[in-house]
Amino acid sequence: MTSERPPVLFAVVAAIGIAFFVLPLAGLISRTPWETALGELTTPEALTALQLSLVVSLAATALALGLGVPLAWVYARVPFPGRNVVRALTTLPMILPPVVGGVALLFAFGRRGLFGQPLDAIGIRLPFTTAGAVLAATFVAMPFLVLTVEAGLRSMDRRYEDAARTLGAGRWLVFRRVTLPLIAPSVFAGAVLCWARALGEFGATITFAGNLPGTTQTLPLAVYIALETRPEVAITLSLILLAVSLAILVTMRDRYLRAF
Amino acid sequence: MLTARIGVKLGALDLDVAIEAAAGEIVAMLGPNGAGKSTFLRAVAGLVPLHRGRVELDKIVLEDVALRVHLPPERRPIGVVFQDYLLFPHLSALENVAFGLRARGTPAREARARAKDWLDRLGLGEHAGARPRALSGGQAQRVALARALAIGPRLLLLDEPLAALDASARSEVRRDLKRHLASFAGIRIVITHDPLEAVALADRLVIVERGRVVQTGSPAEVTRQPRSRYVADLVGVNLLRGAATAGHVVLPRGASLQSAEAIDGDVFAMIHPRAVALHRVRPEGSPRNVWRGRASTLDFQGDRVRVGVEAEVPIVAEVTPAAISDLDLAEGGEVWVSVKATEISVYPA
Repeated sequence: MTSERPPVLFAVVAAIGIAFFVLPLAGLISRTPWETALGELTTPEALTALQLSLVVSLAATALALGLGVPLAWVYARVPFPGRNVVRALTTLPMILPPVVGGVALLFAFGRRGLFGQPLDAIGIRLPFTTAGAVLAATFVAMPFLVLTVEAGLRSMDRRYEDAARTLGAGRWLVFRRVTLPLIAPSVFAGAVLCWARALGEFGATITFAGNLPGTTQTLPLAVYIALETRPEVAITLSLILLAVSLAILVTMRDRYLRAF
Repeated sequence: MLTARIGVKLGALDLDVAIEAAAGEIVAMLGPNGAGKSTFLRAVAGLVPLHRGRVELDKIVLEDVALRVHLPPERRPIGVVFQDYLLFPHLSALENVAFGLRARGTPAREARARAKDWLDRLGLGEHAGARPRALSGGQAQRVALARALAIGPRLLLLDEPLAALDASARSEVRRDLKRHLASFAGIRIVITHDPLEAVALADRLVIVERGRVVQTGSPAEVTRQPRSRYVADLVGVNLLRGAATAGHVVLPRGASLQSAEAIDGDVFAMIHPRAVALHRVRPEGSPRNVWRGRASTLDFQGDRVRVGVEAEVPIVAEVTPAAISDLDLAEGGEVWVSVKATEISVYPA
């Protein structure tokens, strides 16, 4: 690689750009009450939020895997009319303001919503429940999984599937024993991205599922609420989210995220 | 017994090939890249649907467009060794070979035991646990062969079985492959663009060009009477086509050749380059075919030189390096060509 001495102006602006990202982290870390951090983390509300966040984000990831892998397969393999439009619709939550997603979910699955009313009639209530929080997290996080898995399916060598079929494997067996193992890295990367997005989900959750401690108050919501009353709790919880994000970035950097 | 008429339209390729193969026969389908050989293989295996035609193997109809019969690939008794072998990279050699048995319902333990037998038979017992990427090209090919044979097919299809190997390994692997192919009793069809491979492995050649069969026969028959420029080039002979009247062959551009054979109609005329004589001045004497041309290429191949002569009858001559210096011949130089009538082999086109 050839190294180049940057013009002074570029070096200065680049340094400002770096500072822009580093300073907030420094601010967060400088205010961390290290001596009492463990104590803050083990307070009931922090533990509850932490536990709920894990449950919601993992459930959302599981739901996204169950729905998203078949969806990605259809996108990658079945050239149906309007495929690009449908794909755009299911990708929309990636760039949609999450609060808009929350509002949309509310008018679809809320008690007065389009589908909420019939669901309510058979005793299923989603808004302001943990299931609702899972739904909100899945809504915003699943597109990451679908896009990653579709890319994996498109780049795999399909001749392996042909080979499996000539050996006597039906389509389902081919998918299970050949396709899925071959795209496992993509599925794993997609699931981790999806989980990270679900873990940080705020806007759609608070709009659709509310902010009920123990039911829908996940870590990001707890951070936001604690900031008003007990900033040291907010800082400690933020650090947890920061550490998780950093860990994901480090583990995925070389192996799966070359494209990013 | 395989009877297949394969009609497939795929992009620019219009494939229409009929082939028959008897039990125990080894057939090589030989042709240039893009002739449609791999598509033929995929169609017989059921991976590409036919537009027209029929595939029947041992009295079982695998596909018939008119009858709307299409058996999916997993239900055809056909083993395939793919180009690049396509061993599943996430499975060991043993699991690769056991895959087909397991897919066909053999319990895991028995499937592994039989897969191990196959690997042993092909001399790969100690590599049973190896992942494909740890195998050499020749070993990978044998695993692919074991995988295809383990399902007990009636027909074995091999697509360019030696193309993935480096030249140094090829002759040894070819010898092994010939031995292993001989031990399989069903029909074997080898797809290749390499004439050496085709002749080494097969009893019968089917030459395919641009989606059509242009010639079939034993290697000796095909070599003796090439029926296309492609085959003639493979064999290294001159092939001309024209209209004969009592052995006098008129070529499309108006030139003509005199042969010693009394034959009429549309014919091929084959002339071996060694039978083409070159002269500095117009030769006198008995040769019936004499013309003037320009040496366009001189290709030195050890103890002989192939000289391409541009003329009203374009031809390649094969002479010794000494003859080149006697003729004082250089590329672009003028030269006289003569061919004796008895050296021209003429047969119906």
